Amino acid sequence: MKKDSTGALIFKLGIILLLVCAVVAGVLGVVNEITADRIYQQKREKTFAAYSAVLPAAEYEEVGFDKSQFGTVDIIEKADGGEGYVVQTTFSGAQGMITMVVGVKESGSKYTCSGISIISHSETSGLGAVAASSSEKGESFRSSFIGKDKNIKIADIDAISGATITSKAVTEAVATAIKAVESIA
Amino acid sequence: MRIKDQFREGLITNNPVLVQQIGMCATMAITTSLFNGIGMGLSVLVILTCCNVVIAAIRKIIPGEIRLAIFVVVIAGFVTIVDLLLQAFVPALSESLGVFIPLIVVNCIIIGRAEAFCQKNTVKASFIDGIAQGLGYTGVLVSMCFFRELLGAGRFGGGLIDISNGFRFTLDGSGGGIRIFAEDYGAKILTMPFGGFLTLGFLIALMQYALKKSAKKKQLEAEAEADKEKEAAEE
Repeated sequence: MKKDSTGALIFKLGIILLLVCAVVAGVLGVVNEITADRIYQQKREKTFAAYSAVLPAAEYEEVGFDKSQFGTVDIIEKADGGEGYVVQTTFSGAQGMITMVVGVKESGSKYTCSGISIISHSETSGLGAVAASSSEKGESFRSSFIGKDKNIKIADIDAISGATITSKAVTEAVATAIKAVESIA
Repeated sequence: MRIKDQFREGLITNNPVLVQQIGMCATMAITTSLFNGIGMGLSVLVILTCCNVVIAAIRKIIPGEIRLAIFVVVIAGFVTIVDLLLQAFVPALSESLGVFIPLIVVNCIIIGRAEAFCQKNTVKASFIDGIAQGLGYTGVLVSMCFFRELLGAGRFGGGLIDISNGFRFTLDGSGGGIRIFAEDYGAKILTMPFGGFLTLGFLIALMQYALKKSAKKKQLEAEAEADKEKEAAEE
């Protein structure tokens, strides 16, 4: 049998690899087609649930803000009816990034926190993760933010023992969220 | 190779985690509740079986020079499919396992079995091997979850079982599990990564002890048999 030259061999291998990749990519395309809508729906429902938990409203409408000034804030949405805003923010916790929704209530010219909900995090289980858990301690940690304004300090809230960094990070993020809302209102 | 032997290998004598000691990263990271353990175990089982079958089917037509690249493409394809399906239909599990589903791509159990088994064996044998090794992996995950959840958080079946409203299985990961003792009295360290190392170390030690013991027993039996034969021959 005649042995292929190096160039021809590389070409042959390249074509085979290309064919395999093309088949796999085709299959993935089909699967993506089937699941994309559902995944989008799941994500939307989850965000809506988090929004409703911090500031109930029928609809939320996105509003613009100065991203260069508030780097950790992702989205600000105005609650339908004008009673306040929900702010989605991503900031660094003790272990990784925390994504959180903060409700900001407007009464007169005062802005206060109406509740927080942590969407995703990678904090230490049993310590920082308590901030997002449904346990009694987690609930009391989150509810201690209600009614606080932009000057909130860690001493004002019911911080989690053993999770000072997480507690601090969440407190700062709430203060930033309120400031961001004030800047656009 | 007989099917029974393949299952014994996958589950015990050649268990992927406890004997081959591969795929340990995810094993230690996710085994904090039964829900995670079973979900991860079944995901790996499905991906491993699919990859094994496909790789065994195309083993004769893929050139040796690029076989690893093709294995990785096939594995990554199946992992992405499972990842998308989980995100769409079992979002709670997808969230709880997080990055460890995409990381199955580089889980050495799958590429290890492709390289060590499927490229030399038939489709049928590879299919059985996928199930046997997958079950072996799931078994280790479940037993680690059992110990870490029980001793670390004081409960059993977190996410999977709910008893607040009568006994029922919750497949969306919302169940609170069965509380054995208050969470505050649990050894929290076991639920952390360090506890994963500790639990896995104990399990491996136990497995090695059991394997040594059964090997010794077999050796003694063989010797006794040989003695008997010798005696018979002398008579």
